[in-house]
Amino acid sequence: MSTPVRKPDRVDVCIIGAGATGATAAKVLTEAGRRVVALEKGPWRTKETFGGDELANVNRYNLWPDPAQNPRTVRTTADEQAREELFCPVPQMVGGGTVHWQGWLPRFTPEDFRLRSIAGEVPGTTLVDWPISYDDLEPYYTKVEWAFGVSGQAGANAYEGPRSRDYPCPPMPQSRYAEKFHKGCANLGWNSFPTPQAALSRPFNGRPATVVSAFAQQHGDPSGTRSSALNVFIPDAVATGRYDLRPESYVRELVLDGRGRVRAAIYVDADGNTVEQEADVFVLAGGAIESARLLLMSQSGRFPNGLANGSDLVGRNVTFHEYSASVGTFADPINAWAGGGYVSASSFEFYNHDASRGFVSGGHIAAAGVGIPLPINWHLPGRPTWGAEAKKVDRELFNHSMAVAMVLHDMPQHDNRVDLDPDVTDAWGFPVARITLKTHDNDLTQGRFLVDRCGDILEAAGAATVDKVYPTRVTGNCSHQHGTTRMGTDPETSVLDANCRAHEVDNLFVVDGGPLPTATGANPTLTMMANAWRVADHLIAGT
Amino acid sequence: MTEPTQTATFFDQHQRATVEAAMARVIPTDDLPGARQAGTVDFVDRYLSGIDYIYAKPDGSGFESLSGRSAAAWQRRVELARQKYTDGVRELDRLAQALAGEDFADLAETQQDQILTELEQGVENGPELAKPEVPYGIEPALQQTNAESELDFFPLLVTHTRQGFLSDPIYGGNRDRIGWQVIGFPGPASLAEVHSGQYTTLDYFADDPRHPQRQGQPGQEDRS
Repeated sequence: MSTPVRKPDRVDVCIIGAGATGATAAKVLTEAGRRVVALEKGPWRTKETFGGDELANVNRYNLWPDPAQNPRTVRTTADEQAREELFCPVPQMVGGGTVHWQGWLPRFTPEDFRLRSIAGEVPGTTLVDWPISYDDLEPYYTKVEWAFGVSGQAGANAYEGPRSRDYPCPPMPQSRYAEKFHKGCANLGWNSFPTPQAALSRPFNGRPATVVSAFAQQHGDPSGTRSSALNVFIPDAVATGRYDLRPESYVRELVLDGRGRVRAAIYVDADGNTVEQEADVFVLAGGAIESARLLLMSQSGRFPNGLANGSDLVGRNVTFHEYSASVGTFADPINAWAGGGYVSASSFEFYNHDASRGFVSGGHIAAAGVGIPLPINWHLPGRPTWGAEAKKVDRELFNHSMAVAMVLHDMPQHDNRVDLDPDVTDAWGFPVARITLKTHDNDLTQGRFLVDRCGDILEAAGAATVDKVYPTRVTGNCSHQHGTTRMGTDPETSVLDANCRAHEVDNLFVVDGGPLPTATGANPTLTMMANAWRVADHLIAGT
Repeated sequence: MTEPTQTATFFDQHQRATVEAAMARVIPTDDLPGARQAGTVDFVDRYLSGIDYIYAKPDGSGFESLSGRSAAAWQRRVELARQKYTDGVRELDRLAQALAGEDFADLAETQQDQILTELEQGVENGPELAKPEVPYGIEPALQQTNAESELDFFPLLVTHTRQGFLSDPIYGGNRDRIGWQVIGFPGPASLAEVHSGQYTTLDYFADDPRHPQRQGQPGQEDRS
């Protein structure tokens, strides 16, 4: 290890990562008087650096991590050679994934927290109940919804748990694709609701209403009006004067003191210097893949297989969701690019477990554009990509197509894991994350069922054609990642306790998707932020 | 940074004519303009010229200057693409000579289509042009795009033709927003319109902006 050239002053808390959950924890901790240093691998970009440029943002890694600098490797089983792939990427910058998202923010249901009890044992999986309940998290759902700014309709989701407060803003305006979705669901007798969104349908809390651009999903927000960590929680933390946010600070190792607690984070700054940051408490918020990677890179005499990994569970039980859809075309215009294709309507009709369906659990179904429904990246599955016929499809269907998509709840499995690739390094020379991932039969059965229901909605809405894209494996295309440091009550079967403190290291916490013991079938960021807030509250109460 | 110009190029005259002819078959001209009228060859020629045109400035005032690891990554990516185009043009001509004794650009459109179809189907087993594992490389892409460095020449050509037809005109293609007009994308007037927060798509939402209120569902309480 190279000798640190700088050792800044010790602080109360060092948070590694300044994305959705790192920013949440920073806001809560700094507002409670704690001095926080945040170490973020990526840059701190301002809204002025974002634009309506599909080529740069979707195709040229302006926001996505560039695989030439940040490769990952993937294999199906441990006896295969892993191949390089841009697997489950999330923007690495201040604000993280919230910089370029459309922010669908449904709550998990009460059943999500006790699925093992409801569904029973599922062979080949490590399905468990959570160590916390919906009721434990409910106050924090409300806090995030109100502090962050979420637009939605309380009570509209018939399967949602009890809520203590409405949404702060009414739903976003109804897109044409949302209108079709509601119509299809109504004709089938299924519940549908406006997708709760990280955006403001009206001015709120001193912020203007969100600009409804086409360049939204996978684009940064030049107007600064969307609800993102970058636009909301980072400024909240900065305003306290106690938040020292250091971008382009790549943490490569956590080192211990003589008592086995984390003493310092060792990081490489923008100039390539090695810096050592000490703190009383360390909070990991780099995303489930990167946080597991950092723990595994932090090897010591006490933890030869990685920090807090005496159980060999760090990186295991990883889940990713999978996004797939049925795609429909309509005679009347849909304009799915309006609002970027993700100002949507949703249904939890097939979300909670129902044993009569023949598989475990279910997923969130929602209206959307086809893929990224902008000119370059729109493409109807199964249609030619070049020649006269392809041009005809572009001309006739670009404005007349939409998807009904689903979030697949993939099952946790012991052998599905993140570890360090022995051969491949990133542009900094550090070993990259290697993903070992085998898709469970339940995932495929559930995926087929949900995509069929997506198709039912399109047909009931009057689609002229419906094409179904069944998921054939989990490809990491959601950017969602969970489970690599699962929380639980038993150190034999979990990495963290119920308050997301490492069983083996009492000043180490993880607040990203890593603690989530199961993926559930819904977009996870609201729950991750609510959990980060809960953990931060626990830290404040205990220190 | 410099203003966009047409001076930064990579192709020689023959390569340019060959790529332009192939792109004209990827998005052909019918009663509406195609790749040729949109200038997609200008788009790819500029892309292959180096790393001065990778990212437009978000307000449209020019291009970002790359440095460090990002510059190195893009330099490698562009060099890889240059090699694919150089080899690809040679292969198109080889196939054209075998078929009709002429260079690709001089063939009839139906003959060009025949050769491109051969390339697509991997009938010819040239070492650089083996059939990709994922047909076309850009499907199903329901959420994330593919890394173009994984693409062989033909799917890369298809990808770049589409990008050149439909990306913001600042990148050298989509001349006079021809591509957007063909597919019916109204688009913003300029990158600057989006950058300033003026661009909105609400006019293209449903006629009734309110989601349906179902019976038994509570309405939104107004707490403002």
